[in-house]
Amino acid sequence: MNILIPHSWLKDYVQTELSPQEIGDLLSLHAFSVEKILPQEDGDVVYEVEITPNRGDALSVLGMARELKAILPAKGHPIGWTLKESKQRSPLTNKLLPLNVEITNPELVPRFSAVILDDVKIQDSPRYLRDRLEKVGIRPINNVVDITNYMMIDWGQPMHAFDYDKILGAKMVVRGSVEGEKITTLDDAERILPSGVIVIEDGEGRLVDLCGIMGAKNSEVDENTKRVLLFVQVYDPVKIRKASMALGHRTEAALRFEKGIDYLGVIPSLWKAVEMLEQTAEVSLVSELIDIQNANYIQKSVSIDYDKISSIAGVPISVREIQSILTGLGFEFEAESQSKSKESIDPVEKNKVVVPSWRNNDVEILEDLAEEVIRILGYYSLPNRLPSGEIPLKPSNPIFYWENVIKDFFKFRGFFECCTASITSKDLAGADALPLKNPLNEDFAYFRKSLVPQLLEVVRSNKNYSDELRIFEIARIYSLTEENRKEGQLPEQPFMLCLVTRGVDFLEFKGDIEALLLEMGIKSFHFEIKTHKEGQETIFSCEIPLKNLVAVATKNKVYTPLVKFNSIKEDVTIKVDEKAIYEDIIATIKKLDPRIFLVKFKDIFEDRLTLSLEFLDREKQITSEDVAPIREKILKKFN
Amino acid sequence: MEVSINSDLEKLKKQVENELKSLSTSKAADELWLKYFGKSGILKSIASQISSLSPEEKKDFGQKFNQIKSALEKKIQDCITELSQKEESPLEKFYKTLPGKKPKIGHLHITTQAIREIVEIFKPLGFTQVRYPEIDWDYYAFEALNMPSTHPARDEWETFFVDAPEHATLGKMVITPHTSSGQVREMLEGQLPIRMLNISRCGRRQSDLTHNPTFYQFEGLVIDKGINITHLKGVLDYFAKNFFGPDRTTRLRPYDFRFTEPSFEVDINCGLCKGAGCKFCKGGWLELGGAGMVHPNVLIAGKIDPQEYTGFAFGWGVERTYMMKSGTKIDDIRLLLSNDLRFLEQF
Repeated sequence: MNILIPHSWLKDYVQTELSPQEIGDLLSLHAFSVEKILPQEDGDVVYEVEITPNRGDALSVLGMARELKAILPAKGHPIGWTLKESKQRSPLTNKLLPLNVEITNPELVPRFSAVILDDVKIQDSPRYLRDRLEKVGIRPINNVVDITNYMMIDWGQPMHAFDYDKILGAKMVVRGSVEGEKITTLDDAERILPSGVIVIEDGEGRLVDLCGIMGAKNSEVDENTKRVLLFVQVYDPVKIRKASMALGHRTEAALRFEKGIDYLGVIPSLWKAVEMLEQTAEVSLVSELIDIQNANYIQKSVSIDYDKISSIAGVPISVREIQSILTGLGFEFEAESQSKSKESIDPVEKNKVVVPSWRNNDVEILEDLAEEVIRILGYYSLPNRLPSGEIPLKPSNPIFYWENVIKDFFKFRGFFECCTASITSKDLAGADALPLKNPLNEDFAYFRKSLVPQLLEVVRSNKNYSDELRIFEIARIYSLTEENRKEGQLPEQPFMLCLVTRGVDFLEFKGDIEALLLEMGIKSFHFEIKTHKEGQETIFSCEIPLKNLVAVATKNKVYTPLVKFNSIKEDVTIKVDEKAIYEDIIATIKKLDPRIFLVKFKDIFEDRLTLSLEFLDREKQITSEDVAPIREKILKKFN
Repeated sequence: MEVSINSDLEKLKKQVENELKSLSTSKAADELWLKYFGKSGILKSIASQISSLSPEEKKDFGQKFNQIKSALEKKIQDCITELSQKEESPLEKFYKTLPGKKPKIGHLHITTQAIREIVEIFKPLGFTQVRYPEIDWDYYAFEALNMPSTHPARDEWETFFVDAPEHATLGKMVITPHTSSGQVREMLEGQLPIRMLNISRCGRRQSDLTHNPTFYQFEGLVIDKGINITHLKGVLDYFAKNFFGPDRTTRLRPYDFRFTEPSFEVDINCGLCKGAGCKFCKGGWLELGGAGMVHPNVLIAGKIDPQEYTGFAFGWGVERTYMMKSGTKIDDIRLLLSNDLRFLEQF
């Protein structure tokens, strides 16, 4: 998620002499990618920064400032740091206003805090505040609303202001929604809720807040508001995310709540907001602080292993440096509690690190600490080395070798290799194709059961390219069989070799495939060529499971000793009929005499098949006298 | 010219040979040929007189005559060939400048070419090429990679879900959105150390100028004792120099993935401006992809003890990385699925 941070706003917290370009570079190398530095009309610049999902704490100016506080001094750049503690306040009057709060399920709201403010003077926010909001892309509305938005960006704490008088009965019930409930949010959209969305119901049963996402129209602060309920929470991140996704309403507030809020930052944020409201809206505090804590916030401690951090980096990092970097980031060191033995602990080896509250959601294990240390150190400071351990003795899968042989073979036979999508339209995928639950569109909705339909499409769409077209592809087809279903297995996803030609002679196509088989050392393999008629065109296709080819392919070659005698070559013509199969004829001929060395196709005319024969005797030089009876035998067999 | 049949054939032969020696043009050689072998040539005239001989003489003469005829035929032909080779006509010369008759060579798809190049680069480092299922279980694609089902990190992957029954323990059936689904599968094979190069097809629910809904990724996984960040840097820099050019450099920036810790984004310096900054790059750098040290939870899912073994992984788009080679100039990734032969023939 990208956020916008004005440089002038950062200066409230961290002061440095570095230019925005230098700051941007340092942030990119040590923390977050600064995508753009946008100059503003008043000479200010705004950083556009990409914040990774684990760093909700950095979705604020303060969060970014904390990073700079750790990075700049570590890289030798002195800084000034200002962070004023916000003051607790007490109501000055005893004419207090009530709020009856009921939380049906404490898990929904780990922390619920609020104060009531009277004598609110609704007006435009001061110039600097409006400027800052505009620079980060938020439209200023009025001082009260603006301050809640300001605090979300300033300290990363989303908060909401209600018109107190619109909370009927001064009662708030925080609960999960029932399916079908309706609420109209501040953007005038009426939303129908699924169950389990966190909402607030007032004393008269009206829904007055879509918690963590957006306030409701019926409780909004407008120019007539006299009394304000300032409302600062921590919500269950999972519930907020689920609701926000289900409603398709991804607000800045929701995006922060779902990543986790700093539990210890809630009350200080509340008081800073009150202070700002006092300054800009002349409010008076007319309630005590309401602070309902439903979660037991426990400070997280992680055991640190200094040696392991160095070994992750691959370079030695001193204990002092590790401690210095982590301290700069807000981590604190403590010794492990005294062991039962009388040995005292080496003061340098403090081996438990306390995680600051704003990093509570992100830092768990030693590797997280290692990342903190090494990134501040700078990944660029590490050398490049190649692993020098043992090379695994894993034999490579022969399927890759043969795939390359097949692809090169067809390339040099003039074929173009295609790449079609695994998923296609219902039509092209074939009957009973496996569907997607969330297809992209109707042309991308079903897994194909054969490569042929898509390759035929390719031939169609390349009609004008040339009269002769040869294409092929080696890719998966998909099928969820009954057995797959029964056994809880993944679908069958075998690789197929598929060839398609147009304008190519049948025997030439067949010859290409037979030549491939020869090249793969395959003596005999059954394959089928299908014919497709498209108007005047005849298109051939052939689809073979790759696994079947690879199973019988071999690189092994066997030598047959050369014979020192000459062979006699002769043509012979025999009659064939419709039922004849060439392979069977050859087999039959060869069986007639062992001296029939080679039988090759020569010609076919009507029903007469001419074969070129080669006769060879390994024992002696064969003569025409020897050949004559063999020839007779053949002719007798077939004519 | 009338030559008597009684002429000494030997003398005739010598005469021809002498005339041959003095030839200097193929035209003259042609004329010589005509003189002896032409329709009204000398040899023809001699042959026509054979009938005047007695049967005895005929046989004798015939044999000799044929011998000499063959020998002279060959000699003159050789001479003609030799002379004509030395002096080609201008048309013959031009003929040789015509384009050769090239056999029709086909084309391998750019994705295949890219994959081959990648495999070749990793071979010397001892990586083994593998391939894992395109349709896989949610467990391997996400959960085993430290991403529980409710985690926002899952959003990043825009997953396609298959309309098929869920598995009791392995969850929903999905098109794997990344080759990282191969990591735990490889680890569960039980062999260590690991140097895996998984190149497989993935799917994500997006389609625009720089994204196809179906695409290839290549994933490297190295697991051994003592693997650290310097090894990750070393291998990626080695790849970048071999794939893009020896003058290119890489850098790591902090990032976040659930299945690695620390995580990085890897940049390469821009090939066009060499790091100065231009309109094609971001401040002199281009993003290659993500990488990181394998998260202990992932090692545990792969039944490997994270106290003993560490590893690194990276997973990048095949087409995307190839298109980053300066000079390829492919401006729309959807061309790679178009199967337009006019596109395919350019590669």
